[in-house]
Amino acid sequence: MTDTVLELTKVTKRFGDFTAVDHLSFTLTKGKILGFLGPNGAGKTTTLRMMLGILPPDEGTISVLGRDITKVRERIGYLPEERGLYRRMRADAAIAYIATLKGMKRADALACARKLLLNFGLGEFARVRIEGLSKGMAQKVQLLAAVVHDPEFVILDEPFSGLDPVNQSEMEQFVRNLAGEGKTIIFSTHTMQQAERLCDGIVVIAKGRKLFDGTLDGARALFPRRARVGADADLSFLRNVPGVVAAAAPSNGQANWTLDMAEGADGRAVLAACFEKGVPLTHFDLAPPSLHDIFVSLVETAA
Amino acid sequence: MRRTFLIARQEFIKYVTRRGFFISILMFPLWIALIVLVPQWTGGAPQRTFTIVDRAGGYRDAILQELSRENAQRELNALAAYVSANADGDRLQRADPKLVDLLNTPQAEESLRSFRALGGTSAALRALAPFLIPGAGPFRPPVARFVYVGPPARLQRAQDFAAAVRPFLDGDRFYVAILIPADFGTGTGRTAQLFARDQVDKELRAFVTDTLSDALHRNVLRRLAPQLAGSDALTTTADVETRVTSNHGAPSGREDVFSTFVPIGLALILFIVSVMNASVLLQGVVEEKSSRMIEVLLSCATPREITSGKLIGVIAVALVTIVIWTCVLIALMAMAEASTVRLVFAAMRSVATVGTLPLLLLYFSCGLLIYGSIFLAIGSMANSLADAQALLGPAMLILMLPNVMISGIMRDPNGELASIISWVPFYTPFFMMLRIASHPPQLQLWGTTALTIATTIFLIWWTGRVFARHVLTTERPPTLAGLAKRGVQMLTGRSR
Repeated sequence: MTDTVLELTKVTKRFGDFTAVDHLSFTLTKGKILGFLGPNGAGKTTTLRMMLGILPPDEGTISVLGRDITKVRERIGYLPEERGLYRRMRADAAIAYIATLKGMKRADALACARKLLLNFGLGEFARVRIEGLSKGMAQKVQLLAAVVHDPEFVILDEPFSGLDPVNQSEMEQFVRNLAGEGKTIIFSTHTMQQAERLCDGIVVIAKGRKLFDGTLDGARALFPRRARVGADADLSFLRNVPGVVAAAAPSNGQANWTLDMAEGADGRAVLAACFEKGVPLTHFDLAPPSLHDIFVSLVETAA
Repeated sequence: MRRTFLIARQEFIKYVTRRGFFISILMFPLWIALIVLVPQWTGGAPQRTFTIVDRAGGYRDAILQELSRENAQRELNALAAYVSANADGDRLQRADPKLVDLLNTPQAEESLRSFRALGGTSAALRALAPFLIPGAGPFRPPVARFVYVGPPARLQRAQDFAAAVRPFLDGDRFYVAILIPADFGTGTGRTAQLFARDQVDKELRAFVTDTLSDALHRNVLRRLAPQLAGSDALTTTADVETRVTSNHGAPSGREDVFSTFVPIGLALILFIVSVMNASVLLQGVVEEKSSRMIEVLLSCATPREITSGKLIGVIAVALVTIVIWTCVLIALMAMAEASTVRLVFAAMRSVATVGTLPLLLLYFSCGLLIYGSIFLAIGSMANSLADAQALLGPAMLILMLPNVMISGIMRDPNGELASIISWVPFYTPFFMMLRIASHPPQLQLWGTTALTIATTIFLIWWTGRVFARHVLTTERPPTLAGLAKRGVQMLTGRSR
């Protein structure tokens, strides 16, 4: 039995003359969390809709759980970007309705929905209409509706948008728990910190094309480490220090100089050069590039 | 199939649990009841009082004789309807066949003459009393349309009649005053004058005009042929006896009227139920699009399952609507007189027979599905209710067209217009419901039925395609030309 849960092969989707997704290929293995990243209009939602079988690809193939999507709808959970629930339905009935469409019996679906709501701290709101819930509560209800039928593969489109930090943290834990249960998860997001904390792998796309596909470490390896150096003096001399590829003066509210380091170089040469010049430092750190930096670099390069 | 059922169930629950559902459902019978009851409460058509100042002589009596004849005719018509609903026809036929003949042909001059010779309503009721069925209500004679009031003395010789009559008209002594001048009927004098405070009742004016015309004709004939004086040949009118030669027979009297109105009622109910429910369907789809619920549904079911489920849900809502209206009708029937109940059921039986009932149900379901499919397609193409309204306007104008043709079709249900328009696919269910009681030719009946079924299947299929194509897009709704082009592409298999 294959471990590949999702496989896209040269998938293309056009709307008239506009190519929303352009020969996109990647795979996702069982039990992993994949961050699907890209700027607005990159083609993330279109790709997710194709994975769900909502939109057919114009070219290429998509295999979900080893089969055509239409054969495995009931084994997939989906959380849309904007909340899709009937406003006048009660929370437990809303969850149970989706579950029944995914193949559960109504009585079981209702019992599961109430149990999930209880576990998620929403037990007392089970009989409240969706329109009477706060945005955070409705978001949780929507997420529960996506997983109540115990899917093997969960697709989350911007699951954290609009949530306060406490709810975001709860939602992150919920996603981790799902992965802990062996479910495979793909989620799209703009929030790089969450992707950094949650993902085993990332796929970055822009203008419908794939820019990166791999692990976070793999992404970091593509970009130089950066040192940030603070001092009340001109540090442009650091450009000539061995191991420093580039040095950027403080700008745009940045108080420190930013140094791009060559592969394998550490900060000792920089510190030594400052000491030799007699420049007292107010700040020094050396860290791998953040996902945010990687994302911005990738997207800027693509642009 | 299971998902289709689940979506249908959800749609049904969603619509019937709306706050406005039962209000709008009950509004229709209330509306009908008001249409029926208000004229009864207000006494139906208003009774008009009039006076006559006849300076020529003889014309006042002619008008009053005609008024008496008309009142007797109205009473005879009402009595015939009352007897058909409240008397044991078989026993009456055996006991008094002449009376039965008279009541079966109330419009015949001979019947009216016999009725008056018998002694009018009171005498007829005495003769009928032994044959009335248990529970028969009392006979209520119709209210006279026009009532004669003698003229005040000072009007008789008033020089300025208009000035003299004004205080009486203003004081509501009578509604209309008719002045027949002294030269009326002599030479060129043939103009009577009718005085009213403001507007004139057209029926009263027509009654007076016809009666005076007849009187003028009779006077001329009497002058030309004095030997006819005293003969009733001058007042005789012709009878036209109706004979139906088809096997279907023909209802008579009030049944005939009801039999005409039942198909109109059914067709209007189809239209009202369709528009009512299909509008909600359209609104639901637009809301689902804006709330992205549609995305969740599409991740669970195919577009075809969703559209089918929604349409089935709407049919279920429509059936509940019909059931509720039927219950209201039964409740009203329980309060109505037995005769009215029998008449309504007799009329319904004449339309919804064992042979036609399945066809009526088929037309109703197909009509509902056709309207529902169109509205669903519009909803899936619209991004907002404003968009939907813009598309709905032209669609409603097209769909409402049958309503303006009802009277034309009912005047001649098997005529050329009816025969042609019944083949227009969107309208077939509506017009065939109107025509079914008139026994259209077999070719038209079965041909249009097949066309209706084919149209319905095509529209459900087409709606699935339109829904899948448009429901997730935010592009502008297509133009009518674009829609037509896409339809052709779909049919020729060239669309994506």
